[in-house]
Amino acid sequence: MNGGGLERFLDAAPWPQRAALRLLLALARRPRGAALLARVPLAERAACSTLGLGRYDDPAVARALGWDAAAVVARGRALRRAEGRP
Amino acid sequence: MSERLEADVCVVGAGAGGAVVAAELAEGGARVVVLDQGPRHDPDDFSARPPEMLARLYRDGGQTATLGTPPIVLPLGSGLGGTTLVNSGTCFRTPPHVLERWAGEYGLELDEQTLRPCFERVESALSVAEVSPELAGANAAVARRGAEQLGWSHGYLRRNARGCVGSGVCVFGCPTSAKQHTGITYVPRAEAAGARIVTGAEVRELRVEAGRARGVGARLSDGRRLEVSAPSVVVACGTIHTPLLLERSAIDDRSGQRGRNLALHPATAAFALMDDVVDMARGVPQSFYVDEFAADGIMFEGVAGPPAYAAMSLPLTGDAHARAMAGYRRLAQFGLMVSDSSRGRVHAVAGRPVIRYDLCADDLAKFRAGLARLRELFLAAGAREVYLPLPAGVSPARARARDLTLMAFHPLGTARADARSSHGVTDGELGVHGVAGLHVADGSVVPGALGVNPQLTIMALATRLAFRLLGAPVPRAAASSDSKPEPAIH
Repeated sequence: MNGGGLERFLDAAPWPQRAALRLLLALARRPRGAALLARVPLAERAACSTLGLGRYDDPAVARALGWDAAAVVARGRALRRAEGRP
Repeated sequence: MSERLEADVCVVGAGAGGAVVAAELAEGGARVVVLDQGPRHDPDDFSARPPEMLARLYRDGGQTATLGTPPIVLPLGSGLGGTTLVNSGTCFRTPPHVLERWAGEYGLELDEQTLRPCFERVESALSVAEVSPELAGANAAVARRGAEQLGWSHGYLRRNARGCVGSGVCVFGCPTSAKQHTGITYVPRAEAAGARIVTGAEVRELRVEAGRARGVGARLSDGRRLEVSAPSVVVACGTIHTPLLLERSAIDDRSGQRGRNLALHPATAAFALMDDVVDMARGVPQSFYVDEFAADGIMFEGVAGPPAYAAMSLPLTGDAHARAMAGYRRLAQFGLMVSDSSRGRVHAVAGRPVIRYDLCADDLAKFRAGLARLRELFLAAGAREVYLPLPAGVSPARARARDLTLMAFHPLGTARADARSSHGVTDGELGVHGVAGLHVADGSVVPGALGVNPQLTIMALATRLAFRLLGAPVPRAAASSDSKPEPAIH
């Protein structure tokens, strides 16, 4: 999994959210922690959302679902160059 | 070390309001200095990858949140363009009934006729046009099919885009520069007309002497201090940060309303699993609306994104989440936005904004009704399954405020305009009551929820302010690229 983007996302958060999310992710990645989270639906949802943000950002995972970020960016660059866009 | 600049007008913030004021003033011959806290973004750095772009293009990585029930995520853009850099580009004029309410409740002399040249000028500058069904993509087609089945009022949205190819990542940085955000429209115009744009400048204080604006004091990202002397200052830091700057500068608040009256347009979204491939991120994510219930304060608008975005938004956990994501290509999504009557407050704690906002019973009722309608819309469109943003086993009718998963994109009202100094922070000309030469040009002056996306309202008010400061009438714009009439929102 490419975790660079997710790390930057977490680092950018205000410190209370950052600390809370890191704790939730640490729990979610361990079987006993995940079982604990399952008892707190809101916390489980937050952990699942954040893990999903990282997992499905992986280019290989996203491409398998029909999304190729690199191709979207390349098309954008080509259009901007060809048409003199900002 | 410190640097000093002199200007006729110092504009603080280069988002929807500040960039417009700066460009119009500079082109009108004023010496303008613009200070923005964020950076100048290079579209070559836009990666179309949500986590990375959230971290780079948003304040707090897009994780600014309210305190209250329920907590609401409030993403705010950072950098030249402000939130116009990361919004969906939807453009509505201020609904006429809202202008009538402003006149009646706040004494604001703003009617359709007065604002029309401002709207026309902004729409021309931003190439505002209606999205075509082809560009809107299959996600919009799902909602359209449902609305047609149900006989609900609907249409394609007008947006500020030129040469859009439907990259599907408006809110993560447009890779084609098709979205005409103010960072690539009004800011370059301001610079071409001689305005000085300073990025990485955090304005610490507004300088006011003897009841008159004198300039601002700022700190640059390299630690140096910057003093701008100017007899006119326009604050455009956005609804969350403008009241904090006024407070930090010890500007007298006779009304007691500074930081109060925060409206947000709280929003949520539902997903649906369809039979056919949708590929929600192919096309314009926010391209279609359903306004059948706009009179009840409920508006449906398109929303979509790449798999990482969908995984973050999908209201499921565990295996159910994984199964739904395995079917990402057949997922559709649509949003629900509430014209709120709840009101929040922003104030500073240790220099950071603390936003308090609790959803009131009226707005909870709107969400209950709206979620039920959203499910109806998807089922009418042929959805196999609908995933509502509620905990398992909770129906829309029984949802409590704390059950809702909400975001908000349109903070308004914290320096609201009111002709009476006892009721508003700013007056009908957007001048801060009691301080000559100090004006506000952002969402904070908008005195309440609009029920529609506010960027065009903010830009039109900024245009009006700029020409008032120039002492000139707003020129008539060239004919818009799209001659279709503005949709009537009830």
